[in-house]
Amino acid sequence: MKISTYSNAALSARTLLLFSLLLPLVGNASDRPESGDYSTGAKVWVENCGRCHNIRDARELRDDQWFTSVFHMRIRAGLTGQETRDTLAFLTASNMPHRESIFAKKGVSAEVAGKADGQAIYNQTCIACHGSNGKGTLPGAPDFTSSDGPLAKSDDVLIKNITYGFQGPGSPMAMPAKGGNTDLSDADIGALLAYIREQFGR
Amino acid sequence: MMIPKTFARQALPIAIALTLPMTAVADADYDALKRQVEQLQQQLLQVQEALKQQDLKFTHIEETTITRDEAIALEQKVNAASEWRDPNTLIHMSGYADVGYVDGDNQDGSFVAGSFSPIFHFQYKDLVMMEAELEYEIEEDGETETNLEYMTIDWFVNDYATLVGGKFLSPIGQFRQNLHPSWINKLPSAPPGFGHDGAAPTSELGVQLRGGFPLGKMRSNYAIYLGNGPELIAEFEDGEFELDGIDAEAKGFDNDGEQVWGGRFAILPFAGLEIGVSAATGKATVTSIEVGGHDGEEEDEHDADEEAGAPELHDEEARDYDVFGVDGVFHYKAFTLRGEYVKSKVGKATTGATASASGDWESWYTQASFLIPNSKFEAVVRYTDFDTPHDSADQEQWSVGVNYLFSSNFIGKIAYELNDGEKDSTTDDDRWMIQLAYGF
Repeated sequence: MKISTYSNAALSARTLLLFSLLLPLVGNASDRPESGDYSTGAKVWVENCGRCHNIRDARELRDDQWFTSVFHMRIRAGLTGQETRDTLAFLTASNMPHRESIFAKKGVSAEVAGKADGQAIYNQTCIACHGSNGKGTLPGAPDFTSSDGPLAKSDDVLIKNITYGFQGPGSPMAMPAKGGNTDLSDADIGALLAYIREQFGR
Repeated sequence: MMIPKTFARQALPIAIALTLPMTAVADADYDALKRQVEQLQQQLLQVQEALKQQDLKFTHIEETTITRDEAIALEQKVNAASEWRDPNTLIHMSGYADVGYVDGDNQDGSFVAGSFSPIFHFQYKDLVMMEAELEYEIEEDGETETNLEYMTIDWFVNDYATLVGGKFLSPIGQFRQNLHPSWINKLPSAPPGFGHDGAAPTSELGVQLRGGFPLGKMRSNYAIYLGNGPELIAEFEDGEFELDGIDAEAKGFDNDGEQVWGGRFAILPFAGLEIGVSAATGKATVTSIEVGGHDGEEEDEHDADEEAGAPELHDEEARDYDVFGVDGVFHYKAFTLRGEYVKSKVGKATTGATASASGDWESWYTQASFLIPNSKFEAVVRYTDFDTPHDSADQEQWSVGVNYLFSSNFIGKIAYELNDGEKDSTTDDDRWMIQLAYGF
């Protein structure tokens, strides 16, 4: 049995102190979030989510659902506003499936690399999940250096996987189409694959 | 010269006879010509009909086809289209639920419904969000219990600060605010001392400022809050009072008039490591009395007598209330190691009906988990040591489990707990637990 008693609440000086600390912060709320950087967002996504829970598939929710979810996580994980926008840029880009243009030229291969910089693309788009050593930074990310890893597959298969996205067996999340970087051209993908083979292939 | 009539009479029939075949020939030509004209007329009609159809076809083509440039522009528009891209107000529901089975040494195996915890998000631009979590649980008697786990209005003041007002999960440590949802917690149970009525505060009603900022190449996050604070429960047994527990669930009203402030600060030296320090301080007062240390069903005549004889609360002294905690997590690929320590200290009271000695509630756990490569199986082990002023509540626990990740947010768990507590009490029961948890 519980016997309760009541007394009046008092507004303590600490309340006033806390609110006075807030005053300098007021007035800086932005109108609409500016576009974030998807590659930084991928890094934030990989580095922060896994500390508390399994990393969820970047294509699991619609853009609007990600918007509220990421702001919820901004509060939970102590993300900055910029990190929030970067993460949203990555997630919304991941939701953009690769749509082959009906006017696109067919028969792309690694030879179309041209002058695209595969290393720069890797460092910008892929490194967050695949790591600088190609061994993967999160569960499910494959080891490029393994002799029976992804690089054992043909160029055609790998280009298709990069272009359209891919989820390996046992991996908790799928790689989004073009790694979430929808700006990648066929030449970029060819250069990227050539760099990955040169850097990590056995 | 006159032609003789006789000659005329003879010549006329001859002339007629001679012209008759010619007349027949003229009729045949006429018929052929007529047929030709009719054929030509027919062909003309067919040509006219064909031209008419052709005109219709061209008209249809003009109405239904676009140019290549128009097609490319249209394709680009379709690729960029998104109905949900730019609304100002967003509504979203997420949450989690779990079901399971528990079988202990001194209790029959039983299916348990766990909880259903929907979370609602309403957000206006990037300015403000209302978030609330309800918790539905089925009690042993079949009744459904509903709780408002938290409800806050979050004002995103700037990139580094969010003002949170309402009932919020305690920012002391990590477990309560980030790890307790069943799809996140890697074991079916909370570590002793970190659930409700444990050593760690569970929730607060007040205001909180939180966010994150870079520290050179490191990152950091912080939370500072002011709230109504906990209330204390005193136990009356054998004619004496002693502190029974800390009721650290947020109260709808500050009954004891004593507020508490505190917070947490954490640094992330590198991506996979977070170390946090938490503290809270203030005053708390005994506002309720637990008689005999039993709940209502177990009350006996002795308890009833004690209840009748228990003095009422009066002039209760506000006691010191202090919390200290540290937490850390190290995450590398498939391996995660985390630990947490929290101590809640309540000072003594020398005046009031429940005047009694001070008490400390202390708990710590460490947990390791490993997702087996190229599989969906995860192994987990956790050790917890929970100490209170009462031997009956003290508990030491080893928990070992294996999880199967159907997906990142749908997890099957099986675990065995080795509990060491007061003999013949629930805190001493070893038990098997199976749980299905789904975060949505």
